[in-house]
Amino acid sequence: MPSDRYLEVPLVEKQRLFDEVKADPRFHTYLYGCYECGICVAACPSARFYDFSPRKIAQAAAREDLELIYEQMNDDIWNCSQCFSCNRCPRQNSPGGLITIMREVAVKNGMRSMKEALAGYTRIIYKIMTTGTQVSPDMLQEDAFPDWGPQVKMVSDNLDLWRRALPPETLHTTGLSWQVEERTMQELYAIWKLTGTLDMISEVDEGLHDIMEEIMDDALEESGISVD
Amino acid sequence: MAGSDTVLIVGAGPGGIEAARGVADLGKRALLVETKGDIGGTPYEYYATLTPDLRETHEAMHEMVTAVKEHPLIDLRLNTRVVNSEGEIGHFKVTLQDESGSRTEEEVGAIVVATGFQHFDPGRETQMYGYYEYDDVLTLVDAEQMFKAGRIVRPSNGEVPERVAFIQCVGSRDRQIGNQWCSKVCCGIASKQSIEIKRMLPNAKVFIFYIDMRMYGFWEDMIYWKAQEEYKVNYIRGIVTEIIRKGDKLLIKGEDTTMGRPMEVLMDMVILSVGMEPSKGTLEMANIFNLPREEHGFIATKDGGPLDTVSTKVPGIFLAGAAAGPKDIEDTVSMGGAAAMKAVATLNRLALEVG
Repeated sequence: MPSDRYLEVPLVEKQRLFDEVKADPRFHTYLYGCYECGICVAACPSARFYDFSPRKIAQAAAREDLELIYEQMNDDIWNCSQCFSCNRCPRQNSPGGLITIMREVAVKNGMRSMKEALAGYTRIIYKIMTTGTQVSPDMLQEDAFPDWGPQVKMVSDNLDLWRRALPPETLHTTGLSWQVEERTMQELYAIWKLTGTLDMISEVDEGLHDIMEEIMDDALEESGISVD
Repeated sequence: MAGSDTVLIVGAGPGGIEAARGVADLGKRALLVETKGDIGGTPYEYYATLTPDLRETHEAMHEMVTAVKEHPLIDLRLNTRVVNSEGEIGHFKVTLQDESGSRTEEEVGAIVVATGFQHFDPGRETQMYGYYEYDDVLTLVDAEQMFKAGRIVRPSNGEVPERVAFIQCVGSRDRQIGNQWCSKVCCGIASKQSIEIKRMLPNAKVFIFYIDMRMYGFWEDMIYWKAQEEYKVNYIRGIVTEIIRKGDKLLIKGEDTTMGRPMEVLMDMVILSVGMEPSKGTLEMANIFNLPREEHGFIATKDGGPLDTVSTKVPGIFLAGAAAGPKDIEDTVSMGGAAAMKAVATLNRLALEVG
């Protein structure tokens, strides 16, 4: 049965988005053909907990089912943890890879569901893109991680001391997962800018984009690395 | 000079036997070479019963095996290998070596290669079935040994299994492994075996996990419908991705694709439906006789098309059976007859050309 969840969105728009997915140079090596054996679902951790099926991602793409693909781009692709367990496909498809492409298209097109899905991640995006490290020790607060038990509070109360107790000096950090060389960060900024990754963020969160762009431009100017 | 009046047949499985019989019955000498100590090939050595009719293999093949051993025009050489070949159609000079290492040279006019397949080694599969890890994970071949012995028990503890699962397409239809073919017979064999298990253990629950069930022609109702309707075998569409030990049971993880949900169920025994690959002998003969292989690795036929299933690209050399690709016994025996006919026709034509 065709998806009837987004009838208000015109078919040409759904076609346009799928064409963008299909035009990605990775697409043809991520999808050969699907015999619907379900190995990807069996291997998928998300499928165990959500109404999510990597098999349906591959099947919808193979059948070019525009309605269903559009529905998946709104309601399914953010349930994938991108672990690529589905890559054990006997046909060598990569449903996870298809999802990577679909996510990128969702971001580039500023889809509303994408903004909702990523709304809770602005802090992580900021952290990764400006420092190159993800979850820093000072983010591990007991209110954020109640299920981790009482030791989270104990550690966070004296975080600086605990971190300094770690043997490698590069881990004596609280706002970063580890010390990052200035030059490494500058190169990272150049990569974000040159690959268009930073531009993509303006579709996720305009304000976040502007803040990061300023940080990166300043640092790059200081470094002498040209990204023009 | 007229060519030799002998046809060499390499491999004495069903295809080679039928080819040798055909050559001899058409009045030519058949030199039948087999590396093992007995004839009958893979089914005769490993399979308790034949698919699809479930006849006991040795009883069913008795007539053809005896005919070969008794035919005055068949020169059977057991424990013998072909180690070299020179010359061409009408005048191949082949070197044979017996188990003591002594060599003889024979001149033959035509050759039939019937060196067959080997079962896929499940240690190479890309899922995680743990064949070499779990005692209760078997192959179709291991299961046949149990049927031969007349006792189906879990190797781990000697107890009768209550729940048995077959997993299809192990080593077949898999780009990751590099075997992009269907092995043709495993669906039928698994269904046949499930009937045998239910006959011996009527209370057992038997499951077959599959991608597509492929039982053509009469195999459809002879084994597929029979297993499902008379023996209540459960066919579940979805392939298992992993087997994990859970206590003394095996937990299999898959997706029931028609129900659209992940599935984890406990089994006492799992049988892997291993597919076909070219046998070592097939690869050796391809080298010795300079026979090009087709893109899957089996020996190529002359034009790769459906109208000539037995001629190779080398004049005077023919194929019978799974050396040419996955084959059931019906096709193998039919190819044996066709190869014999073409081999003898080759000898006759050469004799006429000289006359």
